[in-house]
Amino acid sequence: MERFVELLIAAILLAGLYATMAYGLGLIYGVLRIVNLNHGGIIMAGAYAGWWMHSQLGIDPYLSLVPVAAAGFVLGMVIYLLLVKRLPRGAAGGVQSLLLLFGVWLVLRNVAYLMFSGNDQTLRTSYATRALDVHGVLISVNRLAVFGVALLILAFLHLLLTRTYLGKAIRAVAQNPDSCTLVGIPVERIYALTFGLGTALAAAAGLLGAALVPFSPSFGASELLKSFVVVVLGGLGSVAGTALAALILALVEVFAILVLPAYLTAAVGFVLLVLVLVLRPGGLFGQRVLG
Amino acid sequence: MKLRWPTWVRPRAAIGLLVVCAALAMGPLLHDNIYWHNQLTLTFLGIAAALAWNWLGGYLGQVSFGHAAMFGVGGFAAAQAQIHLHVPMVPAWIAGGVLAGLFALIWGHPTLRLRGPYFSIATIGVGEATRLVCTYWDAFTGGSSGLSLPMQQNLKHQLYWYGIALAAVALAGSYALRRSPLGLSLLAIKSDVDAAGDVGVSSTRLQDLVLFLSGGMIGICGGFYASYFSYIEPGNMFGFDRSISWVLTGVIGGIGTIAGPAFGAVVFVLLQQSLIASYPQLYLGLYGMLLVLVILFEPLGLTGLALRVLHRARPDLSVTGVAGED
Repeated sequence: MERFVELLIAAILLAGLYATMAYGLGLIYGVLRIVNLNHGGIIMAGAYAGWWMHSQLGIDPYLSLVPVAAAGFVLGMVIYLLLVKRLPRGAAGGVQSLLLLFGVWLVLRNVAYLMFSGNDQTLRTSYATRALDVHGVLISVNRLAVFGVALLILAFLHLLLTRTYLGKAIRAVAQNPDSCTLVGIPVERIYALTFGLGTALAAAAGLLGAALVPFSPSFGASELLKSFVVVVLGGLGSVAGTALAALILALVEVFAILVLPAYLTAAVGFVLLVLVLVLRPGGLFGQRVLG
Repeated sequence: MKLRWPTWVRPRAAIGLLVVCAALAMGPLLHDNIYWHNQLTLTFLGIAAALAWNWLGGYLGQVSFGHAAMFGVGGFAAAQAQIHLHVPMVPAWIAGGVLAGLFALIWGHPTLRLRGPYFSIATIGVGEATRLVCTYWDAFTGGSSGLSLPMQQNLKHQLYWYGIALAAVALAGSYALRRSPLGLSLLAIKSDVDAAGDVGVSSTRLQDLVLFLSGGMIGICGGFYASYFSYIEPGNMFGFDRSISWVLTGVIGGIGTIAGPAFGAVVFVLLQQSLIASYPQLYLGLYGMLLVLVILFEPLGLTGLALRVLHRARPDLSVTGVAGED
């Protein structure tokens, strides 16, 4: 029973990270209809940025979250304005933009190799190994912190999308870009801002991920796939849907340990991805609109 | 009785292929540089694999990031057949290829109804899941310690000519899949699945067929690879980088063209070999940059570039750009 509770708590804490990871991908897809294959690369870059700021400047990873996310935002805008903007959006540019962003990912990965070598790195803080004891159930402080920060980010996003002019504009563009032009919403600027926002989320998620697991330049590939599972499962853009889907993925992954040998649990996410894609053809991302 | 070619086979193309193959086959008589001999063998393998990837990625527009799964299945099946059943090499390759093709059908039949980006993402999942399962499946792949094939005297040297045959078969297959009436159906499916269905193209069956052929050919390449290195290991055979390399060669060489991926493979192997010693990871980044440039400026890659140059030199020739052959 105690083991069950421990696994359950582990899954819930993990779900926070997954939701943050996935939201950036879902946001970009929802508004621009582009699958950001560079998502994994940004996650990796965020991890390295946090690690670098901690080891070189001694800044706590949770404090460096803001500058890392800001840098991610700028990077995303640059990638959009320099590259993605030139391609047709939607079904016509689907595979093209996918390949383009994949190329960007490869380049980022290599920059990381050249700068930091291919070795695994860990972000070790003084409280990394500390745990809370709640009635005999141990909870890692670090995981709890990641979960808390993830909740904050999701709440911020929810408010941004529902309460601000920018958020309303983003949702409107997701619904119908042509009508937005008619009522004077600067669609191109919204696209650029959305791409930046999604990238910033990926960078933040990468930093949070780095606080939990070791990473290397190839970090981000399975995170991308997990994000995709969550986006596909959770439907488009709704914060609650994303959170629920992240919880489902985390539960399946964590409880797979009980029935599968340990080395196969990593494959569970991939299998889930393919199953979800195949069983929900057509309305893959749901028809729901952001918000 | 007179031998009849199907009308879509151009005699010039067939003769050209034979001449090039003959010239390459004679090559080793003229020089005895082992390094280039082996490089060329690997290049032929790369050409065959890139072309096979292109059948699915280019002709059907279903870009696969998971073809290493079939490469590995074919390679390990061929290796097992040679080690335990003592099947001769070429039948073992073919058996491996058939198995790889069937494996492709198992995951691909349900997945192929996804279009574009969704299919691509699903193939990443398939490739990685296959890699994880096979890395720990000792009975099939020997686990992380891999499999060693029986050593044969001089085999590596002889594989040069097998490589020519393999690349030639792949190229002929590419030609047939594009120029035959079947090719027209594939083009229709690529442009619009629903519309293709409306005019009577059986998209499910044809996609399955192309997937089987593509996966099977990649599987045969896996068998060839196993024989060439006489030692294979699942982490390498099923690696994501391997799948990526075919995406890169295909797109940079000219996705959807008949011979483009072959050029891409030649450049890829050369670049990889010259960089891998000093910068083992750099070549992928370089290729990533090339990929970005190709997507932005020249959707048909090197082939498109060549066509442009050709058009500049001979404006009177009409250049269609879709098939990009000759």
